[in-house]
Amino acid sequence: MLVSEQIPKEDLDYILEPFKEDKEEEDNKQIISEKIIAVVKDANGKIIDKREQKMRSLTEYYLALMSIAILGTYSITTSNTATGILTNVLGLPSKQSVNGGTSIITFDTSIQLGSGTQSFLPTLNSLNAPIGNGSGTGQLYNYAQEVSYGNTNISQILIVSNNSGNTITVSEIGLMGTIYLMYINNSNNFTVQPYNFLLSYDTFSSPISIPNGGSASFLIVITFSG
Amino acid sequence: MMVGSKVDYDISNLDIPKDDKEDFDYQKSFNATLTIIVRDKDGKVIKRYKQKSHSPTANFIGLMLPLTWYNETGKSWTFTNNINHTNSYKPSITGNGSGIIYPNDDFNIGVNINGILVGSGSQSNSYNAYNLNAPISNGSGTGQLIYSSINEPTSITINGNQAYFIISQAYANQSGGTVNITEIGIFLNLYLGNSTANITLVYTVLVWYDVLSSPISLANGQSIIIYYTFSVNA
Repeated sequence: MLVSEQIPKEDLDYILEPFKEDKEEEDNKQIISEKIIAVVKDANGKIIDKREQKMRSLTEYYLALMSIAILGTYSITTSNTATGILTNVLGLPSKQSVNGGTSIITFDTSIQLGSGTQSFLPTLNSLNAPIGNGSGTGQLYNYAQEVSYGNTNISQILIVSNNSGNTITVSEIGLMGTIYLMYINNSNNFTVQPYNFLLSYDTFSSPISIPNGGSASFLIVITFSG
Repeated sequence: MMVGSKVDYDISNLDIPKDDKEDFDYQKSFNATLTIIVRDKDGKVIKRYKQKSHSPTANFIGLMLPLTWYNETGKSWTFTNNINHTNSYKPSITGNGSGIIYPNDDFNIGVNINGILVGSGSQSNSYNAYNLNAPISNGSGTGQLIYSSINEPTSITINGNQAYFIISQAYANQSGGTVNITEIGIFLNLYLGNSTANITLVYTVLVWYDVLSSPISLANGQSIIIYYTFSVNA
């Protein structure tokens, strides 16, 4: 039997079986390859809290974003239309109307902190209670984020300072993503259409308190390896 | 490890307490799995094989780097296609923009999956791989396999706290002899450009590469289906 539109049930059952025979499974239990690290300093620069925990909760939107690097943007089954994942999961248009030229996409990511909690679902698309960027009441000042990479991973770091006048408690963290669809519109203007998603969501095992005058660093590491 | 201009310590090197129990129970959120089903000429399953897939290539990492990396570092990424030609890439959302070509109603050039290709060689440095070591060509001659079309997922399947998509491709051996498969790669047709259709032709790039931990021997008349499963789990 060769390729069919549907995966044979006997194949799918086997594909989705939990891993049993892979000898490397044991090794994987001892490597924290996807993780969140948080380090908190007081107003004098002294480290007062350090956390490292497994990152557990990538969303379906992360998987959909990743599909661009595997499947591309064009479906192979229909002419000049986007893949089903891009349209069905991310809500991108199947075909962008342009005024000459072509349409293109790129994306960006940013860490967002919050003070709430919620149960994880793969379809979750926002933090429960995002902490605003600034120096007002209940806000944290966000410095520019930075990204680095290794052979199988990508890391992102966010530094914040608390100038709000009070202690701020961080209990949830997410990686936000924005896909930018760009084209020349009917008025002949270059247009950038953003599409926003929650790419990962995690809660801290106990909330992180950042005192007034203090700062904190948050690092998210995502590893692309089975 | 990157240390940013605003970071006065490397937070990856700090002595951070770990939860041993969590280590023991640890399940990765991202998983990639390679599954192979071998069938005889009558379609009966005669072997099933599964291994964890470990190997994104440099081309894949470049496609997964967000705009922030490009803007903060000022660097470009170099993609290497399957004939070892290179192209520089730096996405942007200003000027005329710069990015991956997206379907539209004027100028189209298909950025789509090229296929899951199989080979009979191996190479240890998958990150720098840009082609299979010894690709098996499409056909019914000696040492060849007949490639079927790739199956493209139309959406992401959600099952509880797991989400996944599967791509697959089938191959038949009508070569008259046994063909051994030892390496597998996913190839993407990649085209970059700006909104005025100033296009960079990167052509076909290897984005994912695996060497099988146990080679698959495919006798004449047998066929296989290769499944790649990409999943996230809470």
